[in-house]
Amino acid sequence: MTDLVLDLKGVGFDYGSNRVIDGLDLEVSRKELVVCVGPSGCGKSTLLGLLGGHLQPTRGTAKRHGQTRTIYQDGGLFPWLTVRQNIDRGLPRTTAAEARTTKIAEWLEITRLAEFADHYPHQLSGGMRQRVEIARALAGETDVLLMDEPFSALDYQTRNRMRRELIATLEQRPRAVVFVTHDIEEAVQIGDRVIVLGARPANVRRILALPTSKPRQPAAPGVAEAEQAIMDELGLS
Amino acid sequence: MAPSAGVFRYLLPLVTGLALLAIWWISTALDAFPVGTVPPPGDVAAAFVSELSSGRMVSDIVASLYRVAWGYVTAVIAAVPLGLIVGRSARAKAALLPWINFFRNLSPIAWIPFAIVWFGIGDPPAIFIIFLATFFQIALATAAAAGSVPKVYYRVAEDLALTNNEVLFKITLPAIMPQLVTALRVAIGVAWMVVVAAEMMGVGSGLGFLINDSRYALRMDLVVCGMIIIGVIGIVLDILFARLANVPSVRWGFDR
Repeated sequence: MTDLVLDLKGVGFDYGSNRVIDGLDLEVSRKELVVCVGPSGCGKSTLLGLLGGHLQPTRGTAKRHGQTRTIYQDGGLFPWLTVRQNIDRGLPRTTAAEARTTKIAEWLEITRLAEFADHYPHQLSGGMRQRVEIARALAGETDVLLMDEPFSALDYQTRNRMRRELIATLEQRPRAVVFVTHDIEEAVQIGDRVIVLGARPANVRRILALPTSKPRQPAAPGVAEAEQAIMDELGLS
Repeated sequence: MAPSAGVFRYLLPLVTGLALLAIWWISTALDAFPVGTVPPPGDVAAAFVSELSSGRMVSDIVASLYRVAWGYVTAVIAAVPLGLIVGRSARAKAALLPWINFFRNLSPIAWIPFAIVWFGIGDPPAIFIIFLATFFQIALATAAAAGSVPKVYYRVAEDLALTNNEVLFKITLPAIMPQLVTALRVAIGVAWMVVVAAEMMGVGSGLGFLINDSRYALRMDLVVCGMIIIGVIGIVLDILFARLANVPSVRWGFDR
């Protein structure tokens, strides 16, 4: 059995005559956290649509082994459901009623939301909402988690805390993650590998492997160098 | 000390009401209007008391509420599913939306001849008029709301492997509830407003009948009495429907 959960080969995607992605290869294995960075509008969200099966490639092949869940930048929670009900929606459909109660309690514990279980999303802060999103997505016990700039709507401090929390949560419940961001600092802090995408049509410009410990401090060995390499690749330095 | 919010909310409307009443009373007491055109408040009050003690007022109110309830509830039951289909399907939208708009712009009064020819006399033609007055409005509001549900909910629903039926009832319907509640509130106002027109012909009871019948008898005091009751019940209905916005699973649409 292969260790790959996502396997894109020569993938291209067009919106009409507009080439968004072209000739893109990407492999993601189990429990790996891959971060994709690229200039804004380079087709990062389209890439996630392809990985999640919401879009079909115009060219090439996109293989998925297992199920995916996607976390969006903002507003993916169902506002008419409480935190508890949102997480419940995320549990596998076959989960029995008693097991649901325990699992929801576990997720509320992991994401430190127990006292907000009966709040509605609009009563929570942006950071708390994203924690609920993460809990709902991970509660599905799917093989792959796709994250579309999940922290970009948050303030700087919350964003930093959320990165640490994401890594801690993934340590408890490991999963393959593809994390899309335009934030280079974020990419080098949390990624096992960083994929640098070029401008439209997007393809892989460079792949950087990063040291194993996560989340990394900006001063950790290799981090500044990786950041510089990405900046060079994107023509930002 | 600044006056409390309660003073503004309850005392000021009372003050303006009393001022209007005073203007009305003084102008009729001074015979400012030609005879028989504006009834004095005293006559209206007397008409109110006699209508109430004879029991006619209660039966008129019940008759009108009964017709409005039937017309309104059937319109909601029919219009919401239609609106959901029109809002979610491009084909249904292209086929039906222009016609819903066409009929929405027709005054329900224009249907009165058909209401009588098709439904005869009694409650059915009145219920039909009230149905028409609200059906197209609610269908249109539902369609507009269903068409503007954020796409992200449907993507999440795909990830959660919801069936088509589940998407309709667990995503689209709850997602449009705030807008639907507002549309229902507007529509009950329209339904109640139309009751006078709906009871213009073919019925022998109801607040609309009271007004029309009193007009022929030149009983302007009774006309005003009917107008006041309709206005007050309209406010009560609006307050009740406004409370729908406080339902927890709907509140999100009004709190952000």
